[in-house]
Amino acid sequence: MQADRRRVNAPPGGTTPPVFATPSNTPIARPVRSRQPDEHRKIFLRTGFVPSASGSAYYEIPPETTSQSKTLLIPSSSSLKITCTVHGPRPLPRNAAFSPNLLLSTHVKFAPFATRSRKGYVRDSSERDLGMHLESALRGVVIGERWPKSGCEVVITVLEGEEDGWWGDAQGAEKSGGWGMMGVLAGCITVASAALMDAGIDCVDMVSGGVAALASDERGNGTRIVLDPSPSEHDIKAACVVGYLQSRDEITEMWMKGNAGVQTEALIDEAVKAAVMTRSVLGEAVKESVELKANHTDRNVKEKGSANDVTMTG
Amino acid sequence: MANTIPLSPAELSYLHTSLSQTPPIRPDGRSPTQFRPLVAETDILPSANGSARICFADGTEAIVGVKAEVEKSSARPGATTDDIFKNSRDQDGDVDVDREESDKEGKGRDEWLEIAIEIPGMRDDDSLPVFLSAMLTEALLSDGGLKDRLWINSRFHWRLYIDILLLSQPRSYPLPLLSLTTHLALISTRIPALISEHDEDPLFNDDWEASTFLYPRSGELQARSKPPVTLLVVSIGEAVLFDPSRDELAVCDSAMAISVAQSAGAGLKVVALRMIDPPSRLTAGGVPQVLNSTSNPAATASLSPAEALVLREKDQGQTVWRPPRGGVRRAIISRIIKMVVENNGVGEEVIAGLAGVEA
Repeated sequence: MQADRRRVNAPPGGTTPPVFATPSNTPIARPVRSRQPDEHRKIFLRTGFVPSASGSAYYEIPPETTSQSKTLLIPSSSSLKITCTVHGPRPLPRNAAFSPNLLLSTHVKFAPFATRSRKGYVRDSSERDLGMHLESALRGVVIGERWPKSGCEVVITVLEGEEDGWWGDAQGAEKSGGWGMMGVLAGCITVASAALMDAGIDCVDMVSGGVAALASDERGNGTRIVLDPSPSEHDIKAACVVGYLQSRDEITEMWMKGNAGVQTEALIDEAVKAAVMTRSVLGEAVKESVELKANHTDRNVKEKGSANDVTMTG
Repeated sequence: MANTIPLSPAELSYLHTSLSQTPPIRPDGRSPTQFRPLVAETDILPSANGSARICFADGTEAIVGVKAEVEKSSARPGATTDDIFKNSRDQDGDVDVDREESDKEGKGRDEWLEIAIEIPGMRDDDSLPVFLSAMLTEALLSDGGLKDRLWINSRFHWRLYIDILLLSQPRSYPLPLLSLTTHLALISTRIPALISEHDEDPLFNDDWEASTFLYPRSGELQARSKPPVTLLVVSIGEAVLFDPSRDELAVCDSAMAISVAQSAGAGLKVVALRMIDPPSRLTAGGVPQVLNSTSNPAATASLSPAEALVLREKDQGQTVWRPPRGGVRRAIISRIIKMVVENNGVGEEVIAGLAGVEA
């Protein structure tokens, strides 16, 4: 033992944070899904909030307000806040190799405070992985051959990520299979699609993201398929995310994880259903932004018409 | 790698046409579900718990080593050892019939498994290795059985390191090669037999002959449990092709990686599925004859860019090659899943083929 006897040394291993005993009369209840299994949470989506970018969008699933009295510090539901900016299409740097198509690159980053465990400033492997998924969802819709020798960057910042599990479940916190990521990917696909529309990049269709999960049924023993699962409310067995093109009835991106057994195809169909729901919001948001832009240009034209002789010279 | 496809639009068009015939005509004459020949061997590394090497016919080669280390489990906040014991007894009922297995159920943790992929010419934070290791990890973890088998007692567990080394330049998408090699290595993985009991510090039998397989080979229920394999499947038109070569990937409409595992006492099941961005989206499209400025300079010179775009769109990839747009239909996805999972399907064939590999 070469321990220093003159001071109190820190424990040799890591430490675990203190867990406070809960009084036995306030049982920590897992939040219960108040929605129907085929009901999506409300989505807020708006485009064009970053004026300096060619296209941008903000996506939010607000936390559900529960009627439960707040006796515990444990958050009962999770929320999702994602911003997306699109830069481009712009010429590739001079030293880049020739590319016959638009080079789309995606960059997904969680804010350090976005999740329960802090994320670093350097992208970790799960963020890179999300970027790859998003890239494959978007590359399928963008008509790349119309912009040879150009690049386009889709930058996503997740301000608030979905929970991976339930806060009160000490074991669940560690053994969770990263189900929150799947909800984040569905949100990323939708918001990136809205930002691409805002940037005016030619696409074959609007791609929207949807997620469905096979979760154990709280009331019975079996399992049921739920749309847009909030991981804190369910014990998820398998989940599926799709990037879906409704008007072509095609899937550009699919990510399925877990053992769904015979219900694999039903799970895919439900995820597509969720994507169709998201698309209605996406459509409205894009329409809104187009109307805003049209009004804006109309007004500009009128103003110019009335004061038509202010010209800069020099 | 992906953006240097050395094929001209004419070659791509030729490949695409021949592959979208029914039945598809593949450049190397294989049937749609046939794999390329490969050379495989297991148990090649004496210092690893399990290892395998596979060499594909196109010269790509991979080595996988599996190493297991005993590690102290960090205490979970909120769950004391008493809780764990109580829970396991409750589930177990009264009799200790195959206590060994049910004891471990649901106790494995995701972080006990570590996969590292080394691909020459790529950094480990490049997107391809990250994507590949995420894919292989999630397939192994959603199987469930593997991580539970790493549990020793409430204080100790095995930590499994799977190190994948691609020895050659990645010529086609290296996913099937890496996955098959990992499968072989895991089948051959042995861990020393435990002789201590309950929550004692683990003590192992030092006789290597007495070691047990991580995926048990004998026994009634466990005999059929196998590690997952990840298969690469592409769709071209209506055709579905397994184990695509580089040329086939360059013209495919969509590519997906589908992981299947064999669970104890049951057939195959899909444990993970991912779409992959096909390299065909990066290919250069051809110029239709109506826009050919060499053959009819007079007609093309008078076209405005908008008219040229309309003419180009009208062609729709009918007469010249055009990179694929959009995704894949759901019907094709469910057909692929069925082809892989069904009895005597591709999945079973691959797993049976690998089971025949000898050390």
